[in-house]
Amino acid sequence: MNADEAALSVRALSVEFATREGPVRAVRDVALDVYAGRTLAILGESGSGKSVTALTIMGLLDSPPARVTSGSIMFEGADLVTATERTRMRVNGEGIAMVFQDALSALNPVYTVGNQISELLRVRRGLSRAAARAQAIELMERVRIPAAARRVDDYPHQFSGGMRQRIMIALAVALDPRVLIADEPTTALDVTVQAQIMELLTELRRENGMGLVLITHDLGVVAEVADDVTVMYSGRIVERGTVEELFQRPAHPYTRGLLRSMPRPDRQDDELWAIPGAPPSSLHAPGGCPFHPRCDAAVDRCRSDQPEFELIAAGRGSACHRSQEVFDGRA
Amino acid sequence: MSAPIPESTRTATAPSRTGGLRRFVAQPTGALSLTVLLVFVVTGVFGPLFVDRPGGLGSEILQAPSSAHWFGTDDLGQDVFAQVVWGTRVSLTVGAAASGLAILIGTALGLMGAYSRRADAWITTVTDLMLSLPLLPLMIIVTAVAGPSILTLTVVIGLFSWPEVTRLIRSNGMVVVAMPYIDGARALGAGGWRIVTREVLPAVVPLVVVSVLLTAARAVISEAGLSFLGLGDPDSWSWGRIMLNAQRSGVLSTAWWQTLFPSLAILLLVLAATVAGVRFNDSRDPRLKDR
Ligand SMILES: Nc1ncnc2c1ncn2[C@@H]1O[C@H](COP(=O)(O)OP(=O)(O)O)[C@@H](O)[C@H]1O
Ligand code: SF4
Ligand SMILES: [Mg+2]
Repeated sequence: MNADEAALSVRALSVEFATREGPVRAVRDVALDVYAGRTLAILGESGSGKSVTALTIMGLLDSPPARVTSGSIMFEGADLVTATERTRMRVNGEGIAMVFQDALSALNPVYTVGNQISELLRVRRGLSRAAARAQAIELMERVRIPAAARRVDDYPHQFSGGMRQRIMIALAVALDPRVLIADEPTTALDVTVQAQIMELLTELRRENGMGLVLITHDLGVVAEVADDVTVMYSGRIVERGTVEELFQRPAHPYTRGLLRSMPRPDRQDDELWAIPGAPPSSLHAPGGCPFHPRCDAAVDRCRSDQPEFELIAAGRGSACHRSQEVFDGRA
Repeated sequence: MSAPIPESTRTATAPSRTGGLRRFVAQPTGALSLTVLLVFVVTGVFGPLFVDRPGGLGSEILQAPSSAHWFGTDDLGQDVFAQVVWGTRVSLTVGAAASGLAILIGTALGLMGAYSRRADAWITTVTDLMLSLPLLPLMIIVTAVAGPSILTLTVVIGLFSWPEVTRLIRSNGMVVVAMPYIDGARALGAGGWRIVTREVLPAVVPLVVVSVLLTAARAVISEAGLSFLGLGDPDSWSWGRIMLNAQRSGVLSTAWWQTLFPSLAILLLVLAATVAGVRFNDSRDPRLKDR
């Protein structure tokens, strides 16, 4: 396989939820490329469609109410949108794995953590009971759980939040997946533990050569660990680029606003600036550009015309009528 | 490299196997109901080894309870105590086997309904339909057509008793299926069969135990009812048949002992099974830890 080829390629993905108030278009026309050994951050406020995108890639949304209305998710030559249950079961865990926000609820409370890891290895790798247990301990050591050999027989609730997240990461990398999706993996943790978990994920990505998709609303995390960034707003992608370029020269007023609201040690602002207003609900998204009520660069046509996502430079794209002006610092 | 940081851990007590039984009998209701059930089981299994099979004609007919005949005698001079002891075996066998059948069907369908939306549509329909049917007349018809025997009774009662189990397992299974750790398992590639057998079933096992007890109690009542209506096995004793004999020989109102003792046996067994079921449920509930 070509080294430049994306390990996971999402195109024109749209996902709708059937609700009592009508269809909710949670994800619209999303495109992503995940490359081996690189970290792609999906950045966006709460409700922007990040989790729905991830859950659709994993095939975890119940249908109904969720429905993929268009698009493809290409992985190892197969389109996961139309794949059979059998393909899905093989890809999940072995091809693509996922780390959830809340590890306590994502681990089964009635089994010991060792049991959960070794069960996976026995079923999927055909390991014997003893070999699976040994490898479970090894995995727990790899995610740096102290005294792994002793703690292997503990239940999830006996671990702290950070340690539980490590166990979920151990489960996720147990089958050596090519792509790991981490959906706000550190939101529930305190700051020092957050940094450790991010470091662990980055390290595993490097050692295993995985593509890492990091879903977050934290610009600081993006700056620290991401290679590429995709910014989502109201279910759509509004901007894309490498982390350096995007931080240097945003091409979308929303990204620019996010960067401006980021706390910076070199500036002594007393108060943090924030983008005014709140993100729209996916049920009552405004016409035209969904960001226009909050945009400081909005012009008349923003209220009526939906901007298309367009390339503005190599590897850079933005969905804004004035992206070139924003990019050039003229708007 | 980040160094391993020891994080605080809560040392919770892992679930233990013997602790459950100890908690169960810690309450008088638990200990008492378990004792009563054990007495019945011992009577059913070993009683017939010590008590002669009731049969033939005796000279002492319609005797009230005495030291020679603890439960009195019937119009043929047979010992009612012996009939009750032998009846225990049949009533327990039919109750346990029918309940086992109902639990098997009910749990399988309940789990299927909880996990698969598509299966759930028709499972719910069939279950609701079964629950709305008048069961006794149906059981009477089927038993009469199939020919009365212990096997018929067991199968008929079992086939008509699963809907309650299905409903219980389904509604509780659905709660488990909605748990985030089910998505966790699916994200790691677990299919329907693995999720149902490994994640959902263990979570509803306590309920299965409770339903075994409650369904067995209901099955014993059904068995007695059908036997009383003459649809029992004509070749073996059961509590229902003892009462049927009393009714047939027209001594229902005079020989009170002939109906009182089998009725008491039914009442005691059903009560003990029900109390044990409720007690088991409570002893598993962490919110009622000290009860
Ligand atoms: N089960 C659901 N039913 C209806 N709408 C949903 C459901 N799940 C998510 N949504 C909608 O999809 C949008 C995106 O949600 P999500 O992907 O969870 O956002 P986030 O970026 O915070 O992860 C939300 O606005 C939410 O209203
Ligand atoms: S299209 Fe208009 S409203 Fe939307 S981001 Fe660009 S300038 Fe702002
Ligand atoms: Mg989310």
